[in-house]
Amino acid sequence: MSDILGNPLNLNLGLLLPELILAGVAVLVVFIDMFQAELKASARVVPVVTVLGLLAAGVASVGAIDRVDDFARLVTIDNFTTFFRFLFIAVAVFVIVGSHEYIERYVNHVGEFYALLLLSTAGAMFMASARDLLVAYLAIEVLSFSLYIAVSLGKNDPRSGEAGLKYVLLGGVASAMLLYGLSLLYGVAGSTQYSEIATALAQHHEGLRMPLVLGLALIVGGLAFKVSAVPFHMWAPDAYEGAPMPVTAYLSATSKAATLALFLRWFGGPLLPAIGEWQWMMAAIATLTMVFGNLVALQQHNIKRLLAYSSIAQGGFMLMAIATISDVATSALLVHLGGYVITNLALFTAVIHFYNRTGKEEITDFRGLSRTNPYLALVITAGLFSLAGMPLLAGFFTKFILFQAVVSGGLLWLVIVAVVGSTVSLFYYLQVIRQMYIYEPEGDTTKWSISPTGYLTTFVLFALMVIVGIYGTPLYVVADRAAFALFKG
Amino acid sequence: MTIPLSSFLVLSALLFGIGFYGVLARRSAILILIAVEIMLAAVAINFIAFATYRDPKAFSGLVFALFVIAVAAAEVGLALGIVLRLFRERRTANVDEANSLKW
Amino acid sequence: MFARLPLPAQFDRIIMTGGLVGSLVMGPILVGLIALYMLSRISGAEVVFYLASVVILLGALGAVLLPNLVHSALSLIATLLGVAAIYLMLLSEFLALVQILVYGGGVIMLVIFGLMLTNAQDDPVVSDGSQKPFAFGVGALIAGLFVAAAMMAQWGPSTATIIPFPAFGERLFRDFSLPIIIVAFLLDIAFTGALVNARRAESAAAEDAATGGTR
Repeated sequence: MSDILGNPLNLNLGLLLPELILAGVAVLVVFIDMFQAELKASARVVPVVTVLGLLAAGVASVGAIDRVDDFARLVTIDNFTTFFRFLFIAVAVFVIVGSHEYIERYVNHVGEFYALLLLSTAGAMFMASARDLLVAYLAIEVLSFSLYIAVSLGKNDPRSGEAGLKYVLLGGVASAMLLYGLSLLYGVAGSTQYSEIATALAQHHEGLRMPLVLGLALIVGGLAFKVSAVPFHMWAPDAYEGAPMPVTAYLSATSKAATLALFLRWFGGPLLPAIGEWQWMMAAIATLTMVFGNLVALQQHNIKRLLAYSSIAQGGFMLMAIATISDVATSALLVHLGGYVITNLALFTAVIHFYNRTGKEEITDFRGLSRTNPYLALVITAGLFSLAGMPLLAGFFTKFILFQAVVSGGLLWLVIVAVVGSTVSLFYYLQVIRQMYIYEPEGDTTKWSISPTGYLTTFVLFALMVIVGIYGTPLYVVADRAAFALFKG
Repeated sequence: MTIPLSSFLVLSALLFGIGFYGVLARRSAILILIAVEIMLAAVAINFIAFATYRDPKAFSGLVFALFVIAVAAAEVGLALGIVLRLFRERRTANVDEANSLKW
Repeated sequence: MFARLPLPAQFDRIIMTGGLVGSLVMGPILVGLIALYMLSRISGAEVVFYLASVVILLGALGAVLLPNLVHSALSLIATLLGVAAIYLMLLSEFLALVQILVYGGGVIMLVIFGLMLTNAQDDPVVSDGSQKPFAFGVGALIAGLFVAAAMMAQWGPSTATIIPFPAFGERLFRDFSLPIIIVAFLLDIAFTGALVNARRAESAAAEDAATGGTR
């Protein structure tokens, strides 16, 4: 079949199997949850089915490795897509396995929650694979809509609904901004296809420079909102604090990674010819984000807000790579993203298990954790050190590669800001570690342990953190192949 | 057709500015939603105008506008659900009275 | 319960006042446009365009400026219908139809229901935030920038092309088949979201069942 312009269309739905599996399992999960009593199913069936569905989607993605194909000129299947498919599936699996006890206790409407997690993972995959602005926009909305709802699902927590409201209103405004930018881009380029936009922007567009620059500014602003970069970050601390903790972990991992995938697809592809118009915007946002995120994180008392600001600051490091985009910077960013996701998930899973036991989330509540649960204290310490970029942990290796790529991209001053920001971040990470190791525990001083699945997830993530820190070559090779697909495939 | 493309774009720019003002100035969650709808109407005008003037062969913008309308309608439903739930808990639909979290 | 709803007397007053104000504002504009048309300064299409633009912009201004929530929502109707007229001017009848059905029929009803179910029935007047001057500055700046961009850019040939309706259908359901699938995901999510938020939280429902109280 061919489309209206005569281009041949490949309508092989098998290429989209992972996404379709996720959507099908999402419907199944809601049904199982609804008829739980009739089916005589235990409460554990829903998370087990969800994880099995995710694993099935993972198996279905294996066939796409090293393949280059497209679905109806709307979606690209290449190594870049496959990299992010595996990343998103892994995040969802770790979030569910690591925190299903928390979800049972503190989340309303569990069946719908798991269904939203699955659908948002599918949306994130489409964000990474789209090659048409329409698909990319709809994928952004699939991910955002599910997160708006997931944020507001906290049980018995008045902050949750409020965080959901703020997120949905500000998110709607950001989407409208992004869309207006996209409409101007469409007007300048005359097409919504990435390849044709690249061709149109590479040609002479002097008479259309002003709408193009304004459109790019709105696009950068709208996407900066989604990746919670300063000055579009206002929603992030509230949403992170009000949301149930697994959603917070998911926000800081999948949502951020998917938006960065979109950044790479757009700014490394169709918008690359116009780099002169947007490079300064990206560098400015990255600088603001690193400076502001790290400074405000210094004053936080709540562990979720601290991690929110720390993840805002980490987003600034990643935007540096977009400002100097090239194949080297892309593979460095993918390596850093991998390390960041592993570290953040380890940290969040550990904090979730701490909350399961104590029900507290202030930083001072971590007093004496090294006495009452030395294992958890060790995981949290390793996670915080890795975020700060200490040697022998994932954060050091990935940050080193990232900074190197940015320097070779010619923005040395940006790296200097980043190094200073990293040093500042060490200070507030140490605050938490100090509480755990220096102070004696207050109140209940008995030793306690976490659930088997908790041990399993935190141990796997901890091991990955150390392995990537010492021997990161496999991750680097994988990221390099994904970046190669984006730039030369 | 005698109306130039720029007339439509000026109309949509003014509409977008009015919507943005509404988002910043209003406090009621539902009024912010209304302002967002105004911004999305501006977006749809832009897409359709560009499709009929600059992309008449493929007219992707026309399809895009249709999807924008669908998504906007879904967003109103979703956001109103959250507003109603918050109202049940707090008896207010104003965003700055929902202030247990700092902005 | 019905006594508390602003029916029908208040709505009558809103409609009468709105109609009066509308015709007082629109009347002179309409007369002016017709006069210009008679003098052959502008074409018939332009008369319709300017009329629709005035309706859209006044409606939008009313929606963001009126202090009464219900008036704002009603003012939005004028904007959305005007936008449908603009779609017609752009030769896309189908989208004009969709706009009227979805917005006039669905969204406006939803918004008004939302208003009635929250505080609009007791106290429909809300004061705006203190950041009005700032908001005005930003809104004016944005509108000015984009108007300048639209006026100054060289957009090329200035003719609209009629897009045949069957071609639109093919484009939508064959070339853009995947977006339809993704929109299905999206509507599923929106539906779930409206459901879980409208349904009472499990714990609250259990408490009510235990105490027999209604909240």
